[in-house]
Amino acid sequence: MKKGISCKNIHLSYVIFLLIVAGSLLADVIASKDPSYLDAYNTFAAPGGEFILGTDSLGRDIWSGIWHGGRISIIIGFVSTAISTVIAIVYGAASGMAGDRVDTVMMRFTEIILSIPGILLIIFIQAMLGKADILSISVVIGLTSWPSIAKVVRMEVRQLRRSDYILVSRAMGGGFGHILRKHLVPSLVPSIMFMVIMNVRSAIVTESTLSFMGLGLPIETVSWGSMLSLSQNALMSGAWWVIIFPGFALIAFLMALTDIGNRYKDSAMRRESNL
Amino acid sequence: MINNKRIRYYAGKTAILVLSIFALSVMVFAISRLTPMDPLYSYYGDRTEKMTVQEKEEAREKLGLNDSIAVQYVRWIEGALTGDLGISYKYKRPVTEVTSGRLVNTLALGGLGFVLIFALALAIGMFCARKEGRPADRIICRMGTFSSCVPEFWLALLLIFLFSVTWHIFPSSNAYSAGGGSLFDRLHHLVLPLIVVVVSHLWYYAYMIRNMLLEETRADYVILYKSLGLTDREIMRRHCLRNIMPELISVMAISVSHILGGTYIVEMVFSYPGIGTLCYESARYSDYNLLMYLCMLTGGIVILLNIAGQIISERIDPRVRAEEAGKEVRP
Repeated sequence: MKKGISCKNIHLSYVIFLLIVAGSLLADVIASKDPSYLDAYNTFAAPGGEFILGTDSLGRDIWSGIWHGGRISIIIGFVSTAISTVIAIVYGAASGMAGDRVDTVMMRFTEIILSIPGILLIIFIQAMLGKADILSISVVIGLTSWPSIAKVVRMEVRQLRRSDYILVSRAMGGGFGHILRKHLVPSLVPSIMFMVIMNVRSAIVTESTLSFMGLGLPIETVSWGSMLSLSQNALMSGAWWVIIFPGFALIAFLMALTDIGNRYKDSAMRRESNL
Repeated sequence: MINNKRIRYYAGKTAILVLSIFALSVMVFAISRLTPMDPLYSYYGDRTEKMTVQEKEEAREKLGLNDSIAVQYVRWIEGALTGDLGISYKYKRPVTEVTSGRLVNTLALGGLGFVLIFALALAIGMFCARKEGRPADRIICRMGTFSSCVPEFWLALLLIFLFSVTWHIFPSSNAYSAGGGSLFDRLHHLVLPLIVVVVSHLWYYAYMIRNMLLEETRADYVILYKSLGLTDREIMRRHCLRNIMPELISVMAISVSHILGGTYIVEMVFSYPGIGTLCYESARYSDYNLLMYLCMLTGGIVILLNIAGQIISERIDPRVRAEEAGKEVRP
């Protein structure tokens, strides 16, 4: 359908993705300034010169902030997704292998979790846990974002569980853990890959939203979200660079992720339209 | 005609509703009690730190915090059933009173957003499905993917920067001006938040509708109608759209939670006096009773609308109705 175009864009998005990840890993090299250093003499410095992308209301260098902050944001995205994917696979597979009654109850439970908007549930749990740090915020996001992946896992498992090789494995005495590791997970990976990548995306968005609101990471911990939490001051002083540059970094990364995710999505639209 | 099957059907749905809300309340209560936070804070706030050990013990005894969690839960539920969900620490008023005025604002923003999102998503989805693979479709798909990658809070910031700070066209916060409150004034304040709510969710649903319609256009009946001389537009509107309706309504039901979550974020950025801003405040000021109630309220609304959506999508499906009437379903 749009093969030529999407291939080209996927290469581009891989390049952007790798550039941002590499840049964040090598943040100390390419951005030598300390992103949390408060330079009282250079608040709201315009882009150019010593501060490539300018400074914010506390005099922190934005160029450094983007790379160092990217490191934190990306780590949170991947750690929380790892947590939610493991929970989702175990829960979804257990539900899919269980009898109808247990399966219904387990699926009802995921719907109840999904009935509270993710952001509210995360705010609620984080407020109960107290002050946030990188680990706590990853855990909270991970603990709340597994149900939608679990649903896909369960659907796949229900289709797979009737297959002969699962039956044979069971008959030979394979337990739930064995079947899960040796048979289910390998065949699940392609179908949940898209959901997993989208989960990284939404975890990064959630973290940045929370930190921006001042409910997530404290202002001293530089991330893409917490860099923007002072932008209310920047708004009034017309310092557009404080808002634009971290936002662009965030959006570029999210777009690259989305494009990569779309590649894994099953392109079932092979047949021609009858219209 | 009301028959036994229909009564049983609605009784089943009601049972699911009650059970779901019960499970929700268990979950909310469990989170509030199993986390390391001292529940005394939800009654006394930061004053708790200044209390002596003995005062704390007395307060615990008085509030019944020394009882088992199950006993505390039952007490909380009994209170909830009689409309007593505790006092908001920050507002010093019952939590139900604090939220009542703000719920309307949130429902106005979220409701209008919901209607606009699905009206536009249908229009865009149908347009793209008819132009599948052509430049117009591809350009819209690109733009859509981009719009879905812009976080709500950042889009809100950008709009405030452009329309409020730079050009002074729209106000940047609140639901109405001080002293004012006319319909025009309210709408004027609603424009920017509404744009953010709509833009950030639109493409997700438009793309979904586009793909559901594309699935339909591959069905054999499309060839039949085409050979009968119907135009693309007629086939799309009269037949394809009708076939995806049950599925679309389920999607709409599930979307309530997402759109409401987005509304909350937008409210926080624009300081729009609704439930979302209240969530933010209660998390900021450790107002736990209020936060628990807001979770229950939001979850309750979503569960209710989900079940309503399920009922509608099942009822407009003629196969379900026929089965109920005891007739045999003919393919």
